[in-house]
Amino acid sequence: MTTQNDDPIIGLYRECFPDFARMIRRMGGNLEQAKDSFHDALLIYLEKEKAGALCLHASPKAYLLGTARICWLRSQNSNPPLPLPEGFEPADPQDSDTEETERTLLASLQKSGKKCLELLRAFYYDHRSMQDIAERFGFKGRRSATVQKYKCLEKVREEIKTSLCAVN
Amino acid sequence: MRSELNELALIDSYLFRQLDQQQNQMVETSVLLSEAFARKVEAQRTAHRLIRLYGRNEQRRRLENIYQQLLSEPAFANQLKSWI
Repeated sequence: MTTQNDDPIIGLYRECFPDFARMIRRMGGNLEQAKDSFHDALLIYLEKEKAGALCLHASPKAYLLGTARICWLRSQNSNPPLPLPEGFEPADPQDSDTEETERTLLASLQKSGKKCLELLRAFYYDHRSMQDIAERFGFKGRRSATVQKYKCLEKVREEIKTSLCAVN
Repeated sequence: MRSELNELALIDSYLFRQLDQQQNQMVETSVLLSEAFARKVEAQRTAHRLIRLYGRNEQRRRLENIYQQLLSEPAFANQLKSWI
């Protein structure tokens, strides 16, 4: 089991954030902005790493500092907006009404089926194998876990359909 | 798996661009011909987006916890001293 102390992200955080915070201070930003942009960059780093799409041409630290700097500049309403790293899809839809509807829907799904969301996250977001998911969630094997994954997806999809019908 | 679950798997493969050209055309034709099927595809696309949003929210919570934990370490906090 991974403890907080041997989590590699903690090591990266410890190594990179103070330098990034100093960089943002020199550029006129504050600590809260530095933290938010650094978290955006870590999110990008972790998602690409899990998807097997992280191509580092320099050290992880250089990648993180560069990405965090872009995130900070984007947050300062740079015009035109700087592009996000290749392959990173923003989660939020462009339309703010849709965004609000989906946030409400997610809150409702979290109340009605946290375990299903956790299972779906493990597969679609964390890119875990079905074997790994079967062990973590206590299924007999890969096949039972796969069936359960689709049942959960079906349940979520039905709630979305019902909710979108009610809105339209 | 029952046919409804097989259909979910097919739509997943379509949305993740894992189908060959013939299968892809078959799904696109079904979308055009059946409003009910088109609604399923759109809802499944939304489901993927919500799962990603959920994953990111959980990850942000984890990063915030790490930040708070590190702030309690004097060596780390000292480097941010002028701001705290």
